[in-house]
Amino acid sequence: MLKISNLNANVENKSILKDFSLNINPGEVHAIMGPNGSGKSTLSNILSGKKGYQVSGEILFENKNLFDLETEERAHKGIFLAFQYPLEIPGVNTNIFLKTSLNAIRKARGEKELDAIEFLKLVKEKAKELKFDEEKLNRQLNVGFSGGEKKKNEILQMSMLAPKLSILDETDSGLDIDALKIVADGVNTLRNDDNSFLIITHYQRLLDYIKPDFVHVLMNGKIIRSGGPELAIELEKKGYESFN
Amino acid sequence: MSEQLQSDFDKLVKTSKFSNEEIQFKKNYLDNFIKKGFPNRKQEDWKFLDISQIIKKNISDLSYFNDYSKSNKIDPSIFVDGLEHNKIIFINGRIEKIDFNFEDQNKIEIINETKKDISFDYENSLIDLNSALTDKVLKVLVKKDYSLKKPLIIYHSTSDKIKSTNINLRLDFELGENSCLKLIDCFGYSTARSFINIFYNFNLEKGSILKNYKIDKFRNNNLKYSFNNIEQDNNSVSETFILSAGSDYFKNEINCNLNGEYSSAFINGIFSLKENQQHEIRTTINHLVENTKSYQLIKSVLGKNSKSAYQGRIFVNSKAQKTDGYQLSKAILLDETSEFNAKPELEIYADDVKCSHGSASGSLDENSIFYLMSRGLNYQQSKELLINGFLMDVVEKITDVEIKNLITNIIGLKQ
Repeated sequence: MLKISNLNANVENKSILKDFSLNINPGEVHAIMGPNGSGKSTLSNILSGKKGYQVSGEILFENKNLFDLETEERAHKGIFLAFQYPLEIPGVNTNIFLKTSLNAIRKARGEKELDAIEFLKLVKEKAKELKFDEEKLNRQLNVGFSGGEKKKNEILQMSMLAPKLSILDETDSGLDIDALKIVADGVNTLRNDDNSFLIITHYQRLLDYIKPDFVHVLMNGKIIRSGGPELAIELEKKGYESFN
Repeated sequence: MSEQLQSDFDKLVKTSKFSNEEIQFKKNYLDNFIKKGFPNRKQEDWKFLDISQIIKKNISDLSYFNDYSKSNKIDPSIFVDGLEHNKIIFINGRIEKIDFNFEDQNKIEIINETKKDISFDYENSLIDLNSALTDKVLKVLVKKDYSLKKPLIIYHSTSDKIKSTNINLRLDFELGENSCLKLIDCFGYSTARSFINIFYNFNLEKGSILKNYKIDKFRNNNLKYSFNNIEQDNNSVSETFILSAGSDYFKNEINCNLNGEYSSAFINGIFSLKENQQHEIRTTINHLVENTKSYQLIKSVLGKNSKSAYQGRIFVNSKAQKTDGYQLSKAILLDETSEFNAKPELEIYADDVKCSHGSASGSLDENSIFYLMSRGLNYQQSKELLINGFLMDVVEKITDVEIKNLITNIIGLKQ
């Protein structure tokens, strides 16, 4: 599904990712763990098409060159990024945003756009699953939401848009145990043989709830070790320094 | 200018039925104006947008004579749909229709006056011009305890029959105790270039509520100046909303005197400007007694070569303890040639007050655009949604739901 080969990324001539390679097949859950400044967020930004990076190498998503696609086209093709810091968008109603987003993606996929009633039915169902306060759907997008609510809103969006590849950028940071479980449940519900996940995190904790197939340790812009879930436990015990 | 003005004034006198006393009264104002001339950038209040230069550039020499003895045809297509309302229709500065059919006729009084003094100190020469050249001063009196059932819409339109390049009009409103008036000003969209000078004087008695919505939406070549003077007694509330978007030039000026305790004033405004438009809002809120409140929120979205200015003055005199005054302005500059000017002025002589001001301007937030695009919206959609949200914040302040919906539709925002 996703094939990253020899990706190099610079910001203002500072090298962030160095010869980074990774393969994700349909149905797989990959976790990338790394200390601050190792390049985790850069990776998720580049996959979503954020501007401002000088890149070389190749990223193929379902055999298409990702660098040829604009941010919104990547979303249409099924890439979703759950933001580490979801943005507050004043004056934009959460429901209207969700409906605009869902219908933009449905339209691009050649599916019928949902009308207001169909949309509300779906969003209410999904909100209930995620124990997301329905009243918040009528509020301005993320404005005045707590950290946990913002993250849950990301998972709600993910679950509405049903992407093929979901990238979760430190979704666990700032979450209490209950919210963490809800977020993990959301991911586990969406998990199937066709959908893949790339979970970026500092800690092993989230991986107790979402069992990854592969764990990679990212340091200084490079994957220095890959393994199964046991690698996360080892990392938690020994710390990042011991891997250096 | 003065020769043209003098001869146009003489024509006005000839075609009108003014008494000698009225003529003398108007002549004094004319002399004042001729002495002062149009305001220009040397005056602090006019330093951002110099009206004398703008008139010179757009119209060159103004002509002032309108024949108010002849009526103009009303074009019903200008009427606002989907909202039942009372009407006052101005065409070329002449009152063509007054219609309060939705109201209890015993509760409203319409009075025509010619000789109407200015009850406050001013330096502004446009008020002199207005007083010299207006045909009639229409006074709308809402009696004690009466709330108008429907809003009043004042249509300001011009037709191609217009003779002059200057229109002056004046309305006075007297809101009796615990009465309520919702007033919408709809500005027309003629292509004729004229300078329109509007003066409203409001007197709000105890517990009365005024809601004034000024809607200048459709692109037109007019240069407009509107001045609202609002006097407020105890517990009265004034809410002003300004959509400043259509005219080539528009300056809205509001002077509000909070004379009575627990009176409050709310002013919210939107500038949505495109190529070469120049708009300004200038407010003066005078907190003159204890426990008064004012709130102002002004937002701008500025396209190429457009310019907006917001000058907000909050004055708190030494008696006005427990004053609560707030003003905030924000601007999105869509092009490097767009310009926003903010000049907050706080003059405070009391020591137990809460007053704050803030101003911020910048381009659209690229991170927010990235967030929206990562959800499948294209750049244009993301930009529109952000601007929509930015402005909706101001529209949300409108306390009347029906009018809020109307204005949301007129602006083309999504709720």
